[in-house]
Formats: sequence, C-alpha cells, structure tokens
Amino acid sequence: MKVTNRFSLLTIGLILVMLLVACGSQPQTTAPTSAPAPTSVPAPTSAPAPTSAPTGAVVSATPGLDIDMILLPKFLGIAVFDQAYEGAKEAHAELGNKGDLIFTGPTAENSVAGQIETLTNAATQGVKAVMLSNNAGDQIAAAAQAAQAAGVKVVTWDSPIPSAQGESVFVAQVDFTETGRVMADMALAILGPAGGEFAILSASPDAANQNAWIAAMKQVLTEPKYANLKLVDTVYGNDQSEESYNQALALVDKYPNLKLIMAPTTVGIAAAAKAMTDEGLCDKVKVSGLGLPSEMVSYTLSGCAPQFALWSFKDLGYLTYYLAYGLATGQLQGVEGERFNAGRMGTYTIEKDPTRPNGLRVLMGPFTVYTAENVNE
Amino acid sequence: MNAKLRRLLSWEGLLLAILLVVATLNTNLAPAYLSLNNQINLFQLSIEKIMVALVMTFIIINGEIDLSVASIMGLAACVVAVLFEQGVPLVAAIVVALLAGLLCGAFNGFWVAYVGLPSLAVTLAGMIGFRGIARILIEDRSIGGFPAWFTTLGQQPLLGPFPFSLLLFGSLFALAFVILHYSGVGRLVYVVGHNAAVARYSGVDVPRLKLGLFCASGLIAALAGVLLAARLGAVRGNTADGFELDIITMVLLGGVSIFGGAGTLGGVGLSILLILNLRNGMSLMNVTGNVQTGVVGMLLILSVLLPNLAHVARDRWQRRAMQRKEVQASIETSASS
Repeated sequence: MKVTNRFSLLTIGLILVMLLVACGSQPQTTAPTSAPAPTSVPAPTSAPAPTSAPTGAVVSATPGLDIDMILLPKFLGIAVFDQAYEGAKEAHAELGNKGDLIFTGPTAENSVAGQIETLTNAATQGVKAVMLSNNAGDQIAAAAQAAQAAGVKVVTWDSPIPSAQGESVFVAQVDFTETGRVMADMALAILGPAGGEFAILSASPDAANQNAWIAAMKQVLTEPKYANLKLVDTVYGNDQSEESYNQALALVDKYPNLKLIMAPTTVGIAAAAKAMTDEGLCDKVKVSGLGLPSEMVSYTLSGCAPQFALWSFKDLGYLTYYLAYGLATGQLQGVEGERFNAGRMGTYTIEKDPTRPNGLRVLMGPFTVYTAENVNE
Repeated sequence: MNAKLRRLLSWEGLLLAILLVVATLNTNLAPAYLSLNNQINLFQLSIEKIMVALVMTFIIINGEIDLSVASIMGLAACVVAVLFEQGVPLVAAIVVALLAGLLCGAFNGFWVAYVGLPSLAVTLAGMIGFRGIARILIEDRSIGGFPAWFTTLGQQPLLGPFPFSLLLFGSLFALAFVILHYSGVGRLVYVVGHNAAVARYSGVDVPRLKLGLFCASGLIAALAGVLLAARLGAVRGNTADGFELDIITMVLLGGVSIFGGAGTLGGVGLSILLILNLRNGMSLMNVTGNVQTGVVGMLLILSVLLPNLAHVARDRWQRRAMQRKEVQASIETSASS
C-alpha cells in the first residue's frame, strides 16, 4: 500500500515534470524561430549567379556535371511513378550527369513518415536535388525547409507542397484549372445534357493536386452549361486499390440515383471501374477521371469507363529532371520569368502558380482524352 | 533467477553484437552516417515512437498491452489542431490535449484494472474509438499554420547541438530506468507481471498500479502526439496511424516477455538503437521502403526464433548427454558384474 502510494506520487511528479518542461521550453522556443529559415524561399535575383544567363534568355544547362539526385514518388508500386522514372532516366543520360539518379520511396502505409525521412536524409547524404511527388501535404514543409537550408533543391512534380514552403518550383503536369474543365466536360459528355448525380472518388484528403483539380471542377460546374450535373459527394480511397474499390461500392449504395463516379487518380479510377464491372453495375454507373490507358483499356472498350484523360508521366519525369538539374547546379535560380531548355520537350518558363499564392510552377500540359477510339494506341 | 539473469544478459549481448555489426556496416557503406547531424536526425525521425516505447515497456512487463497509444497520439494532435483553429491559445490547447490523453489512459486503466477485462480487448477498442474521435474532430481535413515556436517545438537545439525532444527523451529514459530497476514501484511492476494473483494476496494494490501505468501511457502518448504535430507542422485524421506496431516491436525485440514479468529497459534501449540505426543505414544507402520493411521484419522473425531454437538445441543436447551418461553407467555396471 505504501509503495503504491509512492507510485502515484511518482506519477503525479512525472506529470508535473513533463508539464513544467513543456511550458518552460516555450519562451525559449520563440527566440530562435522568430526568423523563418531564409533559404526556404528561392532567393531573389539579387544573388548574382556566374553561370546563369541574363533574365529573358533561355538557359541551356551545361551537361556533364556531377550531382546526385533523388526521384521520390508518393510511394512505390504505382505504374505512373515508374513511368516518371523512365523519363528522368532519359534526361539523366542526355545531360550526362556523372552523379547518381536514385529512385526510392516509402511503402504506402508509411508514406508520410517515409517521405519526410528520405528528404531529411538527403541533406546528410550530400544529395543536391530531391524531386518530390508530395503525399504529406504541409506536413513535409518543415523537412523540406530544413533540406533547402542544407543545400538541397526541392522540386515538386505531380503533387506540390500546398503552402509552397520549402519548395523551389513545382512542375505542374497540366493547368489545374484546365483539369477541372476537362473533368467537367467528360462528365457532361458521358451523362449527356440531361445530366444526373455523380460523385468524386479522390486520393487522400491531403493530396494538393487532387484537391486543386476538384476545386477547379466545382468552379466550372457553376457555369449554366453544366447546371444538370449534380455533385453529391466526395470520398477518399487514399490511392489504395482495395479502399478505393470499397469506397466506390459504398457510393453506389448510398446514392441510388448515382450515374457517374469521377476519380481524378489513376488508382481510384481503375478500382472504381473494376468494382462496377465486378458488380455488373456498368450500365447504371459509369466511371471517368484520370487514368492510365494500359490499366483502363478493357473498361473503356466495355463501355464502363467511356472516357478518361491523362498526360504523359514519362514527359513529366523528364521535364522535372531538366528543371531540378538546372536548379541544383546553380544554372537556374528558381525565380519567376526564368526560361530554360528541357531537351526534346523544348523551352519552358518558371511562372507564378495561380493555384497557390506563394508557389512557382512550370506548366507542362497538355491533356489527352482517351476513348474507345484511341485507348489502344 | 540466476539463469534468467544470464539469459537476459545474453539477449542484450546479442542485440549489442547485431547493433555493432549494423553500425560498422553503416560506417563503411554510408559516409554520412557518423556525422553528428545524422545521429541526431536518426533519433528525431522516430522520437515520438521511442518515447512511448518507454512506458510500453512498463505495461508489457506488467503483463498487459496498450494497443491504443497511436490513436491517443493522433487524438492529442487533433485536439491541439482543432482547438488552435477555434482560436484557443496554443498553450491551453496543449494542456487540454495532454489531459485528453490522460483521460484516455484512465479509461483503459479502469476497465482493465477495476473491471478485470483483458487489456488486449480494451485497448483494441480504445485504438479504434480514440482514432474515431480524432477523425470526427478533424474530419477529412488537414490543419496547419501553427506559429513558429510550435512547429519547432522539440526540434530546436537546446544544449549544444542536442534538440529539446532528444534531451526530453534522455531524461525520460533515465527516469524510467530508475523507477523500473531501482524503486519499489519497479519491483511491483515485475511482481504483478510475473504473477498478479500472488501479488494481490501479498497485499499489493494491483488495480491501482495498473491504472497508474495506463494513465502514464495515455499521458506520454499524448505528449508524443503533440510533439509529432509540432514536428510535422500539420495534422490530419491519420496522424500517427499504425505507430503502435512499431512501438510494441521495439519493446519485444528488446527482450521483454509478452507474457509479462521479464525484460529490462536496457534491452529496450538497445533494440531502439538497433532498429533506428538499421533503418537509417538502409535509408542512407537508398534502400527502398519495401525492402526496409522486409529487413526489419526478418530481424523480428529471427529474434523470435533464435532464442527458442537455442533453447530447444540446448535441451536436446543435455538430454543426449544424460542418455550417454546413463548408457555409460549401465555398461560399467554390467561390465563389473
């Protein structure tokens, strides 16, 4: 009895110590952090770069330098990320980079912690650029800022850092506003002028790209032309096949009048199409969104997913590599208005990102809409 | 007792040997491994988990388990974020989050200690239930935009290059070590874990001890959740999802018996070092996440199999030696007769 009393005393003591430590530290924490990491945001052009061309001219990066670069997808095992790696490898060979191009990523379950870990370790390893398809939302911003401060350029592709903190430039696959219109147009084409109910099956609630596309689509839907399209719900399958499959079926149960599932993610659209096919619901509920032709071909030919859209992930990886190489070698500064040469894809310009107040982007584009006619190409 | 001590010593010896191998490989294969910065990062990337592993050691030695720790971490993070979003001062939000964690722990502890339900079932319910509350609070959103002092809480260097959370972990480890191995309470944790009935008949207030441990678990988990929210700078419903398995893994690999009554914090400390160093080394060598998970998994399988195999082998060898002695003796007796 006496001993347990001492135990409860100890517990209370422990709690008090913890609280004291937690509170005591707060005043101290304000001091060093009041000034945000100065290196997080691309420095203005005031820093003269010996190798960079004057503003307005197109920078063609000097090949043959020696820098290590990491291509970091959301997680491994997704076909489009492998395609992006193919493109990055092509650029890596073209530029004759004597360093390594490393393609590594976390598992799907460990995606957020794994991406943060890779980014944190990149600085330690002496890697000069990390090309990130962000799956951690703003949770990765602190790690990205720390990496930038340690001399690592963080170039995002596919999915940016929402606050743009810690990010040099984002390579946008397509114009995010255009994505909204393309999705709305596909919905209209499938449902016809009579319209009907449809729902969105997205990736994770924190995926900046999907969220921006959905927002853009909602904007487009307010136009009179799309008045009969009724968006009833947005659900998330977290880019996991099984979860997306179940979410698609749950949508059908929940909304008896549902006519279309729009999935702006390659995992979601394939899972939804499989779910509708398995349950024999294809006549009633169609599927559309952003998908990979190789995964969607049978559903498109069967009429389950009559239309879907995508861009080339290989090109995205290629363009991202050219930009990251230029930034990491100091030949590009990562400021608005800079133009650079991206090999076979031509010339691109760094511009303000209209979807994120503090972000910079390079816009790739364009979309290809796939139907039964061209899905086999 | 002596044999048990020797077994534990040898287990820790084995962990130390593997750790040395891993450290040597890392040093040779990844040049950046030894840098102070990397050594600090190595802890920082898992600091919240290893904090919770300390209390988990107490709980498992005591013959219980707490599966709800990761959900309490997530709930505490969500409480801080949601309150902050509502305009509550952040310090107050942190206190509320810590109290919420304490409450979750008391909830678990009550059912386990005073009602006598198995902790596996109670904390499994807690794991789902607390996560559910967190998701109700935050829905499908992600809350961030905390002030700078919070997003660097725990990470800013405090003493030389050592950040606050690392020092906090060090102090917690020392405190836990003293309580478990050099105090009456610590002895009670072992006694109850070894045989709760005997402890009860000897006049130990077993329910109170268990309640206290679950409360401590909830509180430390909440603290870890707040630190995680600070480190990530943004919170969502699945923050800290799945951490409980990593935490329990660290404790079991440290030689703590899942049946209670045996294990040391020294062993858990070594196992934490081993797992962190292994992961860090693989990460520096750009080993992908899939392979990393596989390697850690294999280590665990071996850690379960090896001691048991050794046990079986020793038994068999002893039996055979005894048989041989008997045969020898019978030959001798028959020869003499």
